[in-house]
Amino acid sequence: MFALIKREIQDHLVYFIGAAAFAAIFILISIPVVGRYESIKRQGYDYRTPEFTVGIGVPVVAIVIIGICAMGATQMYLDRTRKISALLSTLAVSRSRILLARIVTGILAILTLLVPLTIAAVILLRLYAPPVLMYPGMVFEIFIAVFLMAFACYCIGLQTGWNSGKIIPTLGGIALTCIFVPLILIKGFGVHIVVILVLFIVASLIRTWHTFMTTSL
Amino acid sequence: MQFRIDNASGRPVYQQIMDQIKRDIAMGRLIKNEKLPTVRQLAGQIAINPNTIAKAYRQLEQQGIIVTKAGAGAFVANLDSSLSRSVRKKLISEELERIAVDAYHMQIDRQTLLEWFDNAVVKFNLPSKKG
Amino acid sequence: MDQNVIKVENLVKYFDGRCVLDGINLNVPRGCIYGLLGRNGSGKTTIIRILLGLEPPTRGQTFLLDAESSELSAKLHSRIGYVAEGHNLIQNYRVGRLIKLCKDLSLQWNDEFFNHLIETFRLPADRRVKELSIGMRAQLNLALAMAIDPELLIFDDPTLGLDTVARRQFLELAIELIQQQGRTILFCSHILSDVERIADRIGILAAGKLVVDCPLEQLKERVKKLRVIFPESAPPNLYLTEIINQQIDGREMVITVANWNKQKQTVLETFKPSSCTEIPMSLEDIFIECTNSNPVSITG
Repeated sequence: MFALIKREIQDHLVYFIGAAAFAAIFILISIPVVGRYESIKRQGYDYRTPEFTVGIGVPVVAIVIIGICAMGATQMYLDRTRKISALLSTLAVSRSRILLARIVTGILAILTLLVPLTIAAVILLRLYAPPVLMYPGMVFEIFIAVFLMAFACYCIGLQTGWNSGKIIPTLGGIALTCIFVPLILIKGFGVHIVVILVLFIVASLIRTWHTFMTTSL
Repeated sequence: MQFRIDNASGRPVYQQIMDQIKRDIAMGRLIKNEKLPTVRQLAGQIAINPNTIAKAYRQLEQQGIIVTKAGAGAFVANLDSSLSRSVRKKLISEELERIAVDAYHMQIDRQTLLEWFDNAVVKFNLPSKKG
Repeated sequence: MDQNVIKVENLVKYFDGRCVLDGINLNVPRGCIYGLLGRNGSGKTTIIRILLGLEPPTRGQTFLLDAESSELSAKLHSRIGYVAEGHNLIQNYRVGRLIKLCKDLSLQWNDEFFNHLIETFRLPADRRVKELSIGMRAQLNLALAMAIDPELLIFDDPTLGLDTVARRQFLELAIELIQQQGRTILFCSHILSDVERIADRIGILAAGKLVVDCPLEQLKERVKKLRVIFPESAPPNLYLTEIINQQIDGREMVITVANWNKQKQTVLETFKPSSCTEIPMSLEDIFIECTNSNPVSITG
């Protein structure tokens, strides 16, 4: 199992590097910006305004979502074209283990992106922001919701990657952004979102699992 | 021991092996009580399925041409048995018939042929028939 | 434990509406070397892929080592060595990385034997698989399949691309494996001389059916090609069954018959031929005639 995961990571290292780099860049940019929040506000730029949030927030989120979606799609697409599972399934592994290793790798990549961001966000908020009304577990809830959203995009990538090229998942990613982001803005990070996302993820994974188990290699 | 498997032949491989062992024995290339290679050795040497070789050996044993001793292997049987004589007769007769056919086509008469044959017999010092 | 290591029951396979396999029944007992022959596109590779669970059948079932092909566990896979046509390896990887991957994923690995093979074949560890010649890819595939010490070997055209010496090396390897008790080999090949050397049983696929399935040594005895000359013109119908091929030219008839026996001999003699000589048939001749014409079944 470990060997399978290691293989997946090695083959898709670019996504891990991308995730880590993205997180690092984002944090590094945020530190000075958040630190000098007060001084910038006095100069007249207040970026708690909606235009600012949407202007920067949406593209950033879109890149992340498309990136995650592409990872899932790439994993499946490369498998198909390079006949990786065709070889692996004749070795002493079962198809379900191959798929599981793949999904675990995807989760690890998402975590590589989200965990540093979350830690940085918490630290920055504690240090600089005015006391926001934070109820216990808020960070955790937001983290879970974001993680599930990312994972849902990943699942869409997995599902579409097996049969098509990489264009369709990318378009799918953009479409998702248009659906999910407003959803969160409207509904807020709450139990409702979690439930919807979990249902979606479960359905998607079942479908992927079924396709993978019965396809000809 | 060298074997040539003829893929164009109508004979199954095990029979070809038998033929060649019988020929070698009759021609004196394998002598009485000489040890034959084991099935494993021969299989590895000429890249033939060991089952095929085992079958050839079994048939040869049934015909009394070789004997297998448990643990020791396969050996050429004692050559004075009558079965081996019949094999020898068949092989030589086939050759003689081929020569006769050639002689017919080359219009060589009987006396001349027999004379030439006698020369060959003398040349190789074939012993006279035992009393 | 069942005597039959490979079982195929009424296998039917359609590809895009085209019938490739039309009711195949096949049993390979333990310890047997089974040579599966057939022209290109006759379905040999398809049968093997279905057996290994790489392809689902349209109808029917196949079993490997007593387990259904669609449910082969990882443990069973570790007992099966597979060399695929086209040499199913991950082309982008370097040889060394591929070897490590297969080694890490195996349950038993005979390192000594594997290294011996790699040295014999002189395979470089640092080159990418796609940069190797076809022959070297074949040898790599072979070495990987044999290193796991498999109970069952399935070879699909294993000598494709191998030069004469390498082909001989492969045959000797196969023989060496067979000498170890209880191993079974199923292999497809176009090189009939190789098949004739090492197979116990032969199967010939033609027109989606297994027209021949019998021990190799019996095959030449059961298929007879006769040149029959009649005093006057040859009769068009000899009332013989299981005629594979028949050609008439005036007084002479060349006829190939399956499962020749005394009854057929008697039937032939009632036509009072002036001469009847047997034309010896090599495995290649038998193969060509069996795949060419009327599907006659030679099984047993």
